[in-house]
Amino acid sequence: MKNTIYRVVVISLILITITLQNSNAQGKYIDRSGKIQFEASEALFEEVKASNESVTSVLDTKTGQIAALALIKGFHFKNSLMEEHFNENYIESGMYPKATFKGQFSDLDLALLDENTKKAAMEGTLKLHGKEKEVRTQISIQKVGDIISMTGEFVVTPGDFDIHIPKIVQNKIAKEVLVKFDFKLIKK
Amino acid sequence: MKKLNILFLLLPLFVLSQEDDLLKEIDDTTVSENYEIAAFKGLKIVNFESTKMVPQKQLYFVVSHRFGSIKTGIEDFFGLDQAVTRLNFIYGITDGINLGVSRSSFQRTYESSLKLRLLRQKKGGIPFTVVLFNTVLLNTALDEEQLPELKFENRLGYTTQVLISKKLNPNLSLQIAPTYFHDNLVAIDEQENSQYSIGIGGRHKLTKRWSINMDYGLHLNRASNSPFKNPFSIGFDLETGGHVFQLHFTNAQPMNTNTFLGQATGDWSDGDVFFGFNLSRVF
Repeated sequence: MKNTIYRVVVISLILITITLQNSNAQGKYIDRSGKIQFEASEALFEEVKASNESVTSVLDTKTGQIAALALIKGFHFKNSLMEEHFNENYIESGMYPKATFKGQFSDLDLALLDENTKKAAMEGTLKLHGKEKEVRTQISIQKVGDIISMTGEFVVTPGDFDIHIPKIVQNKIAKEVLVKFDFKLIKK
Repeated sequence: MKKLNILFLLLPLFVLSQEDDLLKEIDDTTVSENYEIAAFKGLKIVNFESTKMVPQKQLYFVVSHRFGSIKTGIEDFFGLDQAVTRLNFIYGITDGINLGVSRSSFQRTYESSLKLRLLRQKKGGIPFTVVLFNTVLLNTALDEEQLPELKFENRLGYTTQVLISKKLNPNLSLQIAPTYFHDNLVAIDEQENSQYSIGIGGRHKLTKRWSINMDYGLHLNRASNSPFKNPFSIGFDLETGGHVFQLHFTNAQPMNTNTFLGQATGDWSDGDVFFGFNLSRVF
């Protein structure tokens, strides 16, 4: 008898686990070719700008959580020397190959999304170069069919991530870096 | 019943495990591009070609100068009046195939080069970068009035070089360059036209933007009465985002492979060295 109860409990736990997993997957939207661009150009000097078009991001419409991941070496500059320098000396991608973001919509019912673009507040943690930084921003979000589109921007500084800009180039690189993103998430 | 109790204690774990970290879900991308970058920042270590390549569809312009010997002192302003200049364009057909053309004021030499990357150093993979470097040189300074027997082929020279580099750690990169070069016309009769040499070189980073660079060419079959010396050079690289400045001292004034290996006249023991720079710019 004891054994039977035990089995029933185990089986039902397994079933609950599977059901939860399924229901979790249902509300998820994913994008594997999202775009992130950052720019730290100063007027009159050479453009300091790079973009990555293979960013992965995922949105859980049930919980309002979002996560994104970009490989640092996926950021491409116009000037290859600048790109090499960025990887070797600033962001040290050999040691820190990824940038990640974990965030949350604080005040948005994702079930109510439609073709009209809405503004929503998002906050989360950006991690790169081994350092973390809280980021808060307004993003534009809309849903067309099975696709959720999110775009937005925020500003960070190299200092936030312990990236030191040497004096010799200090006036060629803006103090603040504008980061823009554009994700098109498709229902999983 | 005990078993059941344990299970109930474990229940929260079952449920918690469902709150899967979203980030973990997408963090499956293994870092695929694991190639070592920036073993050398300049296309040259100092005189020797490095294993660095020009990326696809990019054009590099390299201006190099070697001033006259600093030994002469203030008389010609430490060699400023006797400069040798080389202008070099290099284009990346692909990341692994580069074509170059150059003109050096030393013996009014035109040069064209083909650089091919065969292997690329990778973390947890191939331990070296191997690049093949070939050039053809045309000496246009030879005067037909002084050398009436001169034929066109006498003006030509060739280089075949294997560049093998390894980035040992984030600061130190080393290179070895077995070299074969052939001059159809050599300065002294005793010198064989086909010549062999082993080049060694390295780069050590001092700070994020400064590195110290050195290279040396050991000539293996120099004629015993040859007045020419093995080239040794030492210098510094300064990098800014879009440029690399290389400032150095060397006992070879010419800058093409055949000429700095075969016709270096300076002598370090004598203070007879040349100050120079390579400046590269990307388009």
